[in-house]
Amino acid sequence: MEMHAGAPAGKSAEERVALVGTPNVGKSVLFGLLTGTYATVSNYPGTTVEITRGNAAVHGRRLVCIDTPGINSIVPMSEDEQVTRDILLAERPVTVVQVGDSKNLARALFITLQLAEMQLPLILDLNMEDEARDRGILIDTRALGRALGIEVISSVAPERKGLGELRRALASRTAAVPSAAVRYHDVIEDYAGRIAALLPPAAGPARALALMALSRDETLGPRLRCALDAAAVEQIERLRGECERAFVRPVAAAIHETRLRKANELADAATARVAASPYPIMQSLGAACMHPVWGACMLAAVLLGLYGFVGALGAGVLVDVAEDAVFGGYVNPFCTRAVEMLVPTEFLRDMLVGRYGVITMALTYALAIILPITATFFLAFGVLEDTGYLPRLAVMADRFFRLMGLSGKAVLPMVLGLGCGTMAVMTTRVLETRRDRLIATFLLALAVPCAAQLGVIMGMLGGLSLTAFAIWIGCLGAVLLLAGRLAAAIVPGERSGFIMEIPPFRLPSIKNVLLKTGHRVVWYLREAAPLFVYGTLVLFLLDKAGLLERLKEVCAPVITGFLGLPREATAAFLVGFLRRDYGAAGLHALRDQGMLDPVQTMVSLLTLTLFVPCLAHFLMMIKERGFRPAVLMFVLIAVLAVAAGGVLNLALRALAIPLG
Amino acid sequence: MKDFSHKIVQQGPGTQSMFEDETLETVWDIAEMGFTPTLAEIVKRVGDEARVRAVSLAGFIAIAGERVSLTPAGARRARDVVRRHRLAERLFADILDIKDYEADACHFEHVISPAVEEAICTLLGHPPLCPHGKPIPKGACCELYTRKLAPLVRSLADAEVGAMLRVTFITSPALQRLASLGLVPGATLRLQQKLPAFVVAIGETTVAIDRDVASGIFVRRM
Repeated sequence: MEMHAGAPAGKSAEERVALVGTPNVGKSVLFGLLTGTYATVSNYPGTTVEITRGNAAVHGRRLVCIDTPGINSIVPMSEDEQVTRDILLAERPVTVVQVGDSKNLARALFITLQLAEMQLPLILDLNMEDEARDRGILIDTRALGRALGIEVISSVAPERKGLGELRRALASRTAAVPSAAVRYHDVIEDYAGRIAALLPPAAGPARALALMALSRDETLGPRLRCALDAAAVEQIERLRGECERAFVRPVAAAIHETRLRKANELADAATARVAASPYPIMQSLGAACMHPVWGACMLAAVLLGLYGFVGALGAGVLVDVAEDAVFGGYVNPFCTRAVEMLVPTEFLRDMLVGRYGVITMALTYALAIILPITATFFLAFGVLEDTGYLPRLAVMADRFFRLMGLSGKAVLPMVLGLGCGTMAVMTTRVLETRRDRLIATFLLALAVPCAAQLGVIMGMLGGLSLTAFAIWIGCLGAVLLLAGRLAAAIVPGERSGFIMEIPPFRLPSIKNVLLKTGHRVVWYLREAAPLFVYGTLVLFLLDKAGLLERLKEVCAPVITGFLGLPREATAAFLVGFLRRDYGAAGLHALRDQGMLDPVQTMVSLLTLTLFVPCLAHFLMMIKERGFRPAVLMFVLIAVLAVAAGGVLNLALRALAIPLG
Repeated sequence: MKDFSHKIVQQGPGTQSMFEDETLETVWDIAEMGFTPTLAEIVKRVGDEARVRAVSLAGFIAIAGERVSLTPAGARRARDVVRRHRLAERLFADILDIKDYEADACHFEHVISPAVEEAICTLLGHPPLCPHGKPIPKGACCELYTRKLAPLVRSLADAEVGAMLRVTFITSPALQRLASLGLVPGATLRLQQKLPAFVVAIGETTVAIDRDVASGIFVRRM
């Protein structure tokens, strides 16, 4: 057996091709072009990192393509990088396609040299050749190919340029192992040789592993312990320490620098620079997004656009059409009649089309209210993502997030949280430390309303006044800041420094955005729609068994006493746990029935916004952060939400602010 | 006036060259302060009249009665010794943050090569004055930079927007993460903005960092 359990057993017959490369080089676009539309997404064993696999047929040869997470180095600095390294070591791909950024040849070659050390059969695809050309960078792929001893292809993935060449290269059975090698300092070479001699051939490419060990690659430990006896591991550790002392300078840094120097040499030799013809507009626009003044203006414009597109069009026009015209006018009356004709028992009829009916409640909410809102949000988010605006937003937001003990990077999950908190919890992985991920997860669950919920909330606040809206936003901001500060003080560890690569500002590719939006909407429906149905069923059963009334009574002191809300609001909070937006919609209904005055509306909205995340979100929190932290956050959030609502209730009643 | 007598005690017979350095430095010091160097004063400071006369015989100083003056060759050599001494003082005081640097500076001036001297001078940004406020004689490297008196090496947090900079060393704990983005000693970068966060371009890679990280990256102007 190979060293890592990640290699799927019994699949040794299939030929695997791994796509690797730095982030933002168009790996996934190439992957899509090679495999077509069908792909499976799964977690890499034992990790939360998702790997996409797809089948590709190139000139009659059947291959399984693996799209690996972006890496900056083979010596892993993050879980993503570790997974990529493990795939390369454990899955033994017949060919590795390294996708590089033509604009940044040296950085690509830095990885190429490490892949060469790992003795992997390699094809180097230098993507975004058009962007490099615009900047006056021309790469002689033939000369580079000769210097490296492998096939080098240049491509422009969105235009399918270079795709034919890549497919031809993949079809031939003999991708070469690069002949280019880095010669390190004699001391390092000496110790690398001595460590390599201790490694059994089955462990993998000995020199590469030895250099990883010398680079203080902590993640290598378990792999080595798996393949070697304790004495040998100890021997390696001793040799590493000896080398460290013999070399005086940090060995890892020296290895890194030597590699980088070689990469730069190779890049310089293969690159010609001509006068650049950049797109000054895109570049200035990209810079403006990070400017202290213009950046704020851009942010305002983006928010306004987002509000117009998602709020007005999605949550307004589209929801009206879908809910009132389509579902209210046709689907529900039709289904109700059909059920009444076909289903004999009243119990089942109620279950399907009653007050808490699967069709009249669950499907209506899921398809008529939530779908238009999330679809428009994901579309807008996809555009922001593909232009490269989001990392620039992180630059703008760094100082704000610092107040909460986080870095600007946290803006990514937070913004996505405005679409769907469940998905956002997954993206907290972009944060470097466990501490940052913990705080971000907590704040996401507490104070970031998701798009669907936001749509309903906006609708209700819109019925009040601007003051009401300002109070809601103000309270939310205050809770976010306070909770953030609190969490930053409680959770042990240092705030990690803000370091983020800013990709070039580009015009988004419509096709790519649509494809991504499609994937996300499908994902959302798959995750959300069943939960809507289950949630409604639970509610229906509680109602039928009379337990809903009992729960309302139990919660009454808090709901009616402390928060000053009608008893019926309890149901909204309960279902809010099944779907947060579902709860908001419940409040919306209460208000339409005239059961909430303006103060009650405000209090219920704030409490519900802050209140515990929905079931799917909570399950994702458990999956990503672990059971105990998730439950702890859950309890904390429930207490904080009720406390904030109660304080707001007292304040609004005492101050008697006109809310409209 | 400083007392240099302690230096002589540490010197053995085989250090004639060092003795010459000390003598020349003393003559330069006294003349610089506007006094006329006398043999008595110099012997008092360096300690051995016979050896001072030997320096004269070697052609570095001229002794006319009580008056001592530097010959052209002696002046050149004295200038270099003083320059090395004062650069060493700056290095120990500013960069290494050593309080009692005087004795070490006195040793240092004898042992560093012109290449090292130039590297130190460049590292310090061709400083015009020593920590005591005395002028540091200019070297060849300084002439190129006469208009740039700002220290060459400083943290990225203090650099100007738009400047082309070379990374000299990195003290930030995020060393590895920076390295994977191409931010390593020797890399060339352009500082694009400092607010609301720092943005640097390294080749075609653009990286945003906060002030904390930036203050751990030391750069020099190109």
